[in-house]
Amino acid sequence: MKIELKQLDDYRWLIPKTGAMRVPGMLFSNEKLIKSIGNDPCLTQVANVAMLPGIVGHALAMPDMHWGYGFPIGGVAAFDPHEGIVSPGGVGYDINCGCRLMTTQLDANDIRPFVTDLVQGLFRDIPCGVGSSGNIRLSNKEEAQVAVQGAAWAVKKGLGTAGDLERTEDGGTIPGADPSALSERAMTRGRDQLGTLGSGNHFLELQVVDHIFDSQKAETFHLFEGQFAVLIHSGSRGFGHQICDDFLKEMTKRTSTDSRYASLPDRQLIYAPLSSELANRYLSAMACAANYAWANRQILMHWTQQSIMATLSLTPREMGMRLVYDVCHNIAKKEVHRVNGSEMMLCVHRKGATRALPPGHPLLPKEYRHSGQPVLIPGDMGSYSYVLAGTHGAVKQSFGSCCHGAGRVLSRNQAIKKAKGRDIRRELADSGIVVQSRGKRTLKEEMPEAYKSVSEVIESVQGAGLANKVARLRPLGVVKG
Amino acid sequence: MALNKHIYSTINHTADLGILVYGRNMADLFENAATAMMEILLEPRRLEETDELSISVKAEDLNDLMVRWLSEILYLFMGERRVVTRATLKSIGPSNLDATLHVATYNPDEQEVRNEIKAVTYHQIDVSPKGTEWQAKIFFDV
Repeated sequence: MKIELKQLDDYRWLIPKTGAMRVPGMLFSNEKLIKSIGNDPCLTQVANVAMLPGIVGHALAMPDMHWGYGFPIGGVAAFDPHEGIVSPGGVGYDINCGCRLMTTQLDANDIRPFVTDLVQGLFRDIPCGVGSSGNIRLSNKEEAQVAVQGAAWAVKKGLGTAGDLERTEDGGTIPGADPSALSERAMTRGRDQLGTLGSGNHFLELQVVDHIFDSQKAETFHLFEGQFAVLIHSGSRGFGHQICDDFLKEMTKRTSTDSRYASLPDRQLIYAPLSSELANRYLSAMACAANYAWANRQILMHWTQQSIMATLSLTPREMGMRLVYDVCHNIAKKEVHRVNGSEMMLCVHRKGATRALPPGHPLLPKEYRHSGQPVLIPGDMGSYSYVLAGTHGAVKQSFGSCCHGAGRVLSRNQAIKKAKGRDIRRELADSGIVVQSRGKRTLKEEMPEAYKSVSEVIESVQGAGLANKVARLRPLGVVKG
Repeated sequence: MALNKHIYSTINHTADLGILVYGRNMADLFENAATAMMEILLEPRRLEETDELSISVKAEDLNDLMVRWLSEILYLFMGERRVVTRATLKSIGPSNLDATLHVATYNPDEQEVRNEIKAVTYHQIDVSPKGTEWQAKIFFDV
């Protein structure tokens, strides 16, 4: 399918409604990033999403868009509660993959001599790697509690504070989670993976706040130039993967004889009507996975703090670690949005996209009502991450959504080929970044050249009015699975 | 151990990983797909088989059958830490199969994981005859 693109302005591109598309597509990007898409099928995927029943507004794609499975990565779509659908592929297997940023009161210059020790300590103390099991083994009852309570479960166990929950999206818990909707396989896979980082593009990164763009918002977020900070990127591990897999198969089974689904352009877009029992059961299972991921990141944060304090011989007060915010970027949520002048409860799918609420939004904690929601955008392993603040522009244009990262440009195989003969660890060390990873291939697959320029992505996000830059952070050390 | 590159080739996918698998017939294709997936998942090693499992898979159609077949094998590793060293199809139809899986216990100290396969996806899944052979296009979420 040849996709026609119509440029509306410097940062907005329309895919006109054609054929089976029910709505147009809207891409947020600059010209350079649009040109770099080349033959990447993400544009076709945006058009495919636009064919889904009950879709409202546009099928959207953020500047970090690239080929996914079903939805493009960087895809956002919202659905009407009566005519619309929920699609597990529009959330992804890693339900509530997301990030959290923690600041400290430490000056990064004082930390620099110890970065290697810190990275080694974290590599030892934070379970990571493919299928890694952690230091927590849950009983069925405990696992069900985690699935219902989310990050609050970890705080009750002494692994955090009430303030952490306030500064986590949705308070670290989506209501309506129902463990009875989960398969035995999902429970088996989640039993010993709580408190594990994962692998691939998941990481724990030691950072320095490199530049402040908005001093007032930076102060609200407790960021200062030269500050030592830590960013964690992880998700719901095998628990979430299995839940998505289970429901894709169930939806496939339930719909195989229904002619409405025969015309789906991609089977990974299989869905259930929001009014159906199956959709509600999926959403309650998805909530279990989302809550598990928040508990996971809460525990990882706590252990990170413990590890750093031990390496540097600091007390909690001396370290002053504080959560800035935690965001998810693979999720489907029921949210109220204004559509044609009226408020509607929509099911918003974000597949590799981040919520970005504006100043004044009632879902924000009090301390962020004036600034807008912190939006955390990690770059690739060797380059900057950004903190932005959500805007009214995001609510008007993208159901309060923004990009989630830099977005890949090379496949894993292409990255490995390009890295042949190179020592990526040495190259990063030469740039002042200490890396420790468990998998041999991970560093090559995740090398900086495999990703778009995060700065171009951020420039597009700001140019389109979706979020505004607050601070830029640079990596000092990275732990990868 | 040599890679079984004559039975599959990889497809470049920006975020994930795809393969094109080949087989002389449907049963051969499904066996080769299992071998290919395990090779992508783990560094090949000669392992001591510890068990034999009989497995039956039912699906809605052939494409769904391939996804469910590989998902069963993936779950054995991800959920139970068992490595399928060999898969033998006993019977196969357009929406069901019976097979024997030869398994070994996974030892992380002896065998490295090459790619974390989160799931076998339905994205562009295509299992179909091509001339005198059979071919399958499969994408994994990694």
